[in-house]
Amino acid sequence: MEQILLSVSYITASILFVLSLRGLSSQETAREGNFYGLSGMAIAVLSTMMSGTVTLYGPLVLVLVLGAAVGATMASRVEMTAMPELVALLHSFVGASAVLVGLSSYLGTDSHHGPRTILLIELFVDVLIGAITFTGSVIAFGKLRGAIGSKPLLLPGRHVINLGMVGSCVALGALFLMAPGVEGMQYLLIMACIAGLLGAHLVMAIGGADMPVVVSLLNSYSGWTAAAAGFMLSNDLLIITGALVGSSGAILSYIMCKAMNRSIWNVIFGGFGAEAPSGKSVTPVIAGDTREISVEQTTAQLMAARSVVIIPGYGMAVARAQHTVQQLTTLLRERGTKVRFAIHPVAGRLPGHMNVLLAEANIPYDIVEEMEDINPHLPETDLVLVVGANDIVNPSAERDTGSPIYGMPVLQAWKSKQVIIMKRSKGAGYAGVDNPLFYEPNAFMLLGDAKKTLEAVVARLPQGQSKAA
Amino acid sequence: MQIGIPKEVYPDERRVAASPDVIRKYVEQGFTVVVETGAGAAASFTDEALKTAGASVAEDAAGVWSTSDIILKVRAPMAHPQTGKHEVELMRTGGTLISFIYPAQNKDLLEKLAARSATVLAVDCIPRTTRAQAADALSSMGNIAGYKAVVEAANAYGSFFTGQITAAGKVPPARVLIIGAGVAGLAAIGAARGLGAHVRAFDTRPAVRDQVTSLGADFLEVTIQESGDGGGGYAKEMSPEFIKAEMALFAAQAREVDIIITTALIPGKPAPKLITTEMVESMKPGSVIVDLASEQGGNCELTQPGKLHVHNGVKILGYSDLPSRLSTTASQLYATNLLNFLNIMGGHKAYTVNLEDEVVRGALVLHNGVVTWPPPPRAPAAPVAAAPKPAPVVAPVEVHTASPTRGPARRSFIYEAVALLSLTAWTYAMMSMKGTASVEAQNFVQHATVFVLACFVGWQVVWNVTPALHTPLMSVTNAISGIIILGGMLQAHGEVTSSAAILGLAAILLATVNIAGGFLVTERMLRMFRK
Repeated sequence: MEQILLSVSYITASILFVLSLRGLSSQETAREGNFYGLSGMAIAVLSTMMSGTVTLYGPLVLVLVLGAAVGATMASRVEMTAMPELVALLHSFVGASAVLVGLSSYLGTDSHHGPRTILLIELFVDVLIGAITFTGSVIAFGKLRGAIGSKPLLLPGRHVINLGMVGSCVALGALFLMAPGVEGMQYLLIMACIAGLLGAHLVMAIGGADMPVVVSLLNSYSGWTAAAAGFMLSNDLLIITGALVGSSGAILSYIMCKAMNRSIWNVIFGGFGAEAPSGKSVTPVIAGDTREISVEQTTAQLMAARSVVIIPGYGMAVARAQHTVQQLTTLLRERGTKVRFAIHPVAGRLPGHMNVLLAEANIPYDIVEEMEDINPHLPETDLVLVVGANDIVNPSAERDTGSPIYGMPVLQAWKSKQVIIMKRSKGAGYAGVDNPLFYEPNAFMLLGDAKKTLEAVVARLPQGQSKAA
Repeated sequence: MQIGIPKEVYPDERRVAASPDVIRKYVEQGFTVVVETGAGAAASFTDEALKTAGASVAEDAAGVWSTSDIILKVRAPMAHPQTGKHEVELMRTGGTLISFIYPAQNKDLLEKLAARSATVLAVDCIPRTTRAQAADALSSMGNIAGYKAVVEAANAYGSFFTGQITAAGKVPPARVLIIGAGVAGLAAIGAARGLGAHVRAFDTRPAVRDQVTSLGADFLEVTIQESGDGGGGYAKEMSPEFIKAEMALFAAQAREVDIIITTALIPGKPAPKLITTEMVESMKPGSVIVDLASEQGGNCELTQPGKLHVHNGVKILGYSDLPSRLSTTASQLYATNLLNFLNIMGGHKAYTVNLEDEVVRGALVLHNGVVTWPPPPRAPAAPVAAAPKPAPVVAPVEVHTASPTRGPARRSFIYEAVALLSLTAWTYAMMSMKGTASVEAQNFVQHATVFVLACFVGWQVVWNVTPALHTPLMSVTNAISGIIILGGMLQAHGEVTSSAAILGLAAILLATVNIAGGFLVTERMLRMFRK
């Protein structure tokens, strides 16, 4: 009877998780989606608690309360600009948790009767993926935080190192399978350490600009690790949920890679920027010079323009300029200027990062457009304002076959009547590629911290001159 | 080849079909240009200036008409008001005329011209396609008419357009209703907004909404859904229900607004009557109506074409010569339109009446005396709203295509097929295994089935997620992957001090942080998304 009840609640939870993912497909239903997810989780946890397997109620409740308190504090304190870090950090918890579950289960296999080869393999895989997810996420967190340099760490012969680590994991796995009772624990622990190193090394070799892919890939891993735990524990809910999360993360990674016109292998093993253009390095030395524009001139241009497209990039997130951008948008819209936002799929350090920041600043999402939708409209746009973006507006991606980013779809800012690029310095973007956009005849550089500069622009715009005036 | 520019004979017509700039270009190409003396005077182009540009000046109309191969004019030929002689009679046999003609309304004129074996290209019949945009005189004149309508309205209106708060009291801004958001309507919106008025606009074509709002006006709508797009950027006649709803809207608006500018025209038909006598009477005294359709009968029942008429204190302006009131710029733009049209026809080097050319064929109403109007219907080249594109106030015409479905449809179909096939294979494997394989292997296959199925569901669901929600998606899936907590919970039994239980509890702790943090942060993010 209890078993049936448990199955019913597990099915309900699975359905709620599917509904949760579906709810996320549009802004209108997204919050319902989150609620479904939460309810599914509550049902799953409660029914497991009452299933009879659990007996340590006191300590269980204690850790639940403690964990919830820590999680809630982190979530409510985090700034939207720091969202990528938080997500990466949370991924690492799933990884660590999976490793612990694996180890704990192994201790429990002592009492297991009958053949257990498949069980042990499942357990091994769970710990392996869990450990990779854990250290990979921690490194990603450090990189996003800036604690670890964002430049890819490229050890000589790193592919050999990776292969060696994978090989030793397999060897340890064989030893582990042959060990009687729980004597394989040492192999399991050594393997976990090696897998941890592997995860760290893999992510260290990936540059900062590729972080959206890495984060979504780790998201995928955290799902697969849960699924592996499900196999190990013969728990269908874990399998289903893990598979949902895993495929979701995989699709996101695919979308991100496509947006950068690179394959997933290239992102993971490419060490972008270092093995730069092969052979046909025809990168032309860009002639001419960039022209700077003052805050006053920028203000005048913004007031003269009838249509403005704002292209935000990671620079906006770094400078936390989204609220200032919102003020600018409101003032311009009150003047009757058509303001739109153009979002490149890999702008920022997380898929959809810019959307979240703009939403935080209360910018209505119906003026926020995706790349394919806005590109055809750029030629008729009076003014494009690039706020802290570089590679995603680089014309080399279309023109220069030798460029490392050649073929990546970009926002065609240069086609508009005028472009103003807000940047901290004239340096190259994450990809380390020079940007010919800055030298275009219709392009002007507005150098300085995005937030401070925009505040100066906003201060110069006539305030509150709404239609009613 | 000689181009002739006669002086316009229509009363109070101040425009002329050429300007010094344009004449210079004709001469450069190799044309000879003859201008009737005083032709440009009303447009502030002196004979001197025209001569300097390279034209020769003829003493009278006959000197232009009889010697020129191509006559460029503004108004359709008519009987000279003083001499009584019809302009067509001055024309040389087999000559070419390019001007406004309005062939539908001027059948007699066509016959007269046919008798001279003339070739006639009607400027008002140039198709409003993208290629012909540079020759689209209706647009350039409409633009001017819209601007001038606002200026005339401001002149006749007894107050400011912009609201002001002065030491002597508060003046509310003028409220302006513009009916018809074609070129003239859009130009009027721009001009009225420029003066500071509150502007609202109505049009039967929903496609122009963005253009209207881009100029800062409010777009009025009736509750009935019906598109008034009649192709080629024009409006069509609407159903009776729609017209009823529309009239109710106008009646309500008439009581509110200070100024109405109507620009509603349906090609080849008298202008629709949109503003009734009652509506006029419901307006505040001192209000102004400018009827840009007065020449086609007017959109207001009380319009008197060409005149200012006052009814119950409401001034109704029926001027039909608004472009002519801005004669210099109107002439300059019109002349450039004609230059561009001649260039489409081949310019001086390759001048030819090419019947295969869509633009030329559309404008051609008489070919060597043979009536070629109306042109055979063509497959409507995308009803480019090339038409509503006034020069200075370009309102981007947005062709809204349904946004492509997210996720590659075709590819996912292949994946579906693969998934189905592998599922079948799985089931088969399970069936054949029954009884033969160990319990453990059977369990594994069962789990694998669930796993594959769940992957498939996830695959189906996630493709639909809009890119804007990728971060929330990631954080919600992250929270959901905290389901690993179950793994920990299943170990939470036995002795608290046993290693298995301690590891399990630690796993639960981490997973709980993840769950609480993930869901909460997702909620925080989603709360921010607003329309």
